[in-house]
Amino acid sequence: MKALAGKLLRLDRRAIFVLIALATLIPLLYPIGLPIRVSLEVKRVYDHIESLPAGSVFLLSLDFDPASKPELYPMAVALLNHAFKRGLRVVGMTLWVTGTGMAEQVVSRVADEHAKRRGVDYAFLGYSPGGANVIINMGQDLNAAFPTDHYGERTADLPILSGVKTLRQVNYVVSLAAGTPGVESWYLYGKEKYGFELGGGVTAVIAPGLYPFLDTGQINGLIGGLRGAAEYETLIGMKGKAVAGMDAQSATHIVIIGLIVLCNLVYLLAPETAIRSFDRAQDRAGPSERGGR
Amino acid sequence: MATSTFIGAWVAAGLTLFMFSFLYKDNPFFRFGEHLYVGVSMGYTIVRIHYDVMVKSLYSPLAQEGKWSLLIPALLGLLVLTRFVSKISWLSRISFAVIVGFGSGVAIPRIISSNILQQVQGTLKPILKAGQPPFGMAQFNTLLILVGVVTVLIYFFFSIEHHGATRISARTGIYFLMVYFGAGFGYTVMARMSLLIGRFDDLILFASRDYAYASLVLLALVTAGLLVWDRGRRPSS
Repeated sequence: MKALAGKLLRLDRRAIFVLIALATLIPLLYPIGLPIRVSLEVKRVYDHIESLPAGSVFLLSLDFDPASKPELYPMAVALLNHAFKRGLRVVGMTLWVTGTGMAEQVVSRVADEHAKRRGVDYAFLGYSPGGANVIINMGQDLNAAFPTDHYGERTADLPILSGVKTLRQVNYVVSLAAGTPGVESWYLYGKEKYGFELGGGVTAVIAPGLYPFLDTGQINGLIGGLRGAAEYETLIGMKGKAVAGMDAQSATHIVIIGLIVLCNLVYLLAPETAIRSFDRAQDRAGPSERGGR
Repeated sequence: MATSTFIGAWVAAGLTLFMFSFLYKDNPFFRFGEHLYVGVSMGYTIVRIHYDVMVKSLYSPLAQEGKWSLLIPALLGLLVLTRFVSKISWLSRISFAVIVGFGSGVAIPRIISSNILQQVQGTLKPILKAGQPPFGMAQFNTLLILVGVVTVLIYFFFSIEHHGATRISARTGIYFLMVYFGAGFGYTVMARMSLLIGRFDDLILFASRDYAYASLVLLALVTAGLLVWDRGRRPSS
């Protein structure tokens, strides 16, 4: 047993890569369709959009770049589908310059699927420099922050923005964020001062850091990672990329949990791993290893 | 299918496989993909900045609407570039003073309000509320948050030595921190797996007949290339 444990400890790490690749690939090719339970924080975003009357202004800030596309793009698709179905006036924008093209593509694609007219039913404002300062500027004068939309049309002339002079006239803002500027910036510089309701959709990496804001009601809902996107797709009855990826996500998580348990067992069983506690490791280390002279 | 979509699929599949080849070991395919990514990102950013900042936010309002006040931020922006000329580099401090002054003035009150005052308010919720049972999940959660915040704060209180009750509190704080790190790590694993799923999803799509089996053909080519490269690196006996 100890010999086997020793061998496993010296296993080429690329074997783990292959294992993870298979755990991802097989469920994608042969989906099982594991059930998806909708969490309260995701439901709150859905419920808020459901509660908005047709014609309300919904601002979707796509604050991410292609590096976070697998997690946030399905969220954007689901939210846009929901907003267009509800007949909301959808305004898209981005605070991330490298995400401009992708943001424009997703907004216009989903709008086309719903036969929505640019400038009348929806607008894509594009990117404006300044990060969080853009939010402050939008709160004071939206046309000053975005004199023209992404396509060069004057925002003051867009029918969809009639009556929308500042962020005070926006009913709901959702920031899909992969970092800063993102949800926190929208809260700090926007919601607190201009009083609109704010929801967040974020990558799984930054989701834990936003739960305190959810708990205090500073954001009204939170869609976290691909899992959150899958929950939202379930809520609107649309089986998109996020739902399709959930089986693979579950499979890889099971493999990783199994590997963690196995590694700990092997570590304890292997003959050469006599050092099992940090204190003993410190005692065994020489002065130079401990940072001493 | 549009030709651009077809070519795009081949480029995307190829570059994904180039980047994944690093899992085998560092190699020229990976380095090519890495450098290309940096170059394309920078090129794209420069073009967008030129259009969105220089043209849309500066040139057009100046030339078409006569907003001459925009010359002030433009001048401040140009002063930053004096960093490259040592004799007049001090001029850039004017711009930095404006940036730091404005940034601090805007951020500090908002952060105090949002990240400190409202968070404290959220932490110090009443444990017992009228109309609620005295021993429910809500009370448990409130107590848990309170104990977590206090013990973690004690752990980071280094002005006194951690002995006795302080030590017990600090130790409890460590456990709360460990739970947070564990949750954070779990979420990070989920995020990384999502990225992998996203790329695999595209590779599966590009492996179809519509894309002339791009993923499969390129996988074979990259594997062959890696083998040739690896063999070429081995010292001849």
